[in-house]
Amino acid sequence: MVSKESEQFLTELRFYLMSKGKNDDEINEITEELEVHLMEAEADGKDVSYIIGDSPKQYMKSIGESMSTDYRQMAGLVPLMILLLGAYVSIGPAIEGNFSLSKGTLWIAITAGVIAVGGYGVLIFRVLPKFLHSKWSAVLLLGAGVAVTGLMVMLLLWNQKQGFEPVFTATPFQNNVIVAVCAVIFIVSAIYTKTWFTVIIPLCISVGPIANRFIPQDVNEDPTYILYTVIAFVIIAAVMIFVFMAKRKKMLNNGGK
Amino acid sequence: MSETTQMLKGILDGCLLAIIKEGEIYGYELAAKLESYGFRSLSEGTIYPLLLRMQKEGLISATLRKSTAGPKRKYYTLTEKGERELKLFIGRWEQVSSSVDNVLNKRGI
Repeated sequence: MVSKESEQFLTELRFYLMSKGKNDDEINEITEELEVHLMEAEADGKDVSYIIGDSPKQYMKSIGESMSTDYRQMAGLVPLMILLLGAYVSIGPAIEGNFSLSKGTLWIAITAGVIAVGGYGVLIFRVLPKFLHSKWSAVLLLGAGVAVTGLMVMLLLWNQKQGFEPVFTATPFQNNVIVAVCAVIFIVSAIYTKTWFTVIIPLCISVGPIANRFIPQDVNEDPTYILYTVIAFVIIAAVMIFVFMAKRKKMLNNGGK
Repeated sequence: MSETTQMLKGILDGCLLAIIKEGEIYGYELAAKLESYGFRSLSEGTIYPLLLRMQKEGLISATLRKSTAGPKRKYYTLTEKGERELKLFIGRWEQVSSSVDNVLNKRGI
């Protein structure tokens, strides 16, 4: 086992190389080789900065430059992203039991999908690697998350107001099938990208609809419960931000710039 | 330190080839050997991007072997192309080093 700092570095390296479109097998090879090195070096009493130098960012860059970019693998990510986006949008209504499609919704979904894939691609491959080691990466990720969620909600609200004629309304059985298909997409994406966020985000998205489906209406509209929920969410968010910042600070103190 | 690293660019490749020629070796051992030869200011990880590139250029080849310490180690050996490159490096180095010596000792050409 390597130390937390080394593990953090290896995770960041993996993420950096993935964002640069490097081949998965090569990423595994180099991270495993570095893990062996870090393990033996730490056993000899050396720390991570002794191995990667003063600037982890520079070191990651030098490794990235020695590896070729795998365009075929990158092309595979696009359909995966489209499936993921579709699953993100569909799982909520399907859990609530009222998944339906109209021509208007389809057009919006296609347009939003294209814009989202483009934006996501630019963020992951161009913008994020530049900010990976600065405090801006957290702000950028959080900001992008909030902006995307906000846009989605606005789009959904606008969509509902349009009163499009549904061309397909799912039966209860079909709704359950859609939920299952979405779950499969999330799990496959998590395995493919070797990250947890494709499972964690849908879990967060699903909490609302699950509560909506199973909590009785009178509890759902009780202002006291709403207040409790808001307070609970604020506390959870505050704790998560605090833990995240503390972890980041600790990592930066251990060799980062 | 970074100035030394900058100066060593290109030279390190040859040194790695020479060490690998001595016999099959894995990353950590290679870094330790470099250090024992006097390259103390280098970060140990510097060798990995170079090894990756040299492997891609066909100068060295790698095999994964089980170790008692834990995960598999990646052992490097010199290929025929690597041996030729090492010979070329030795020739180039002898020329550069004698020229630098001449300049520093103000002997002229």
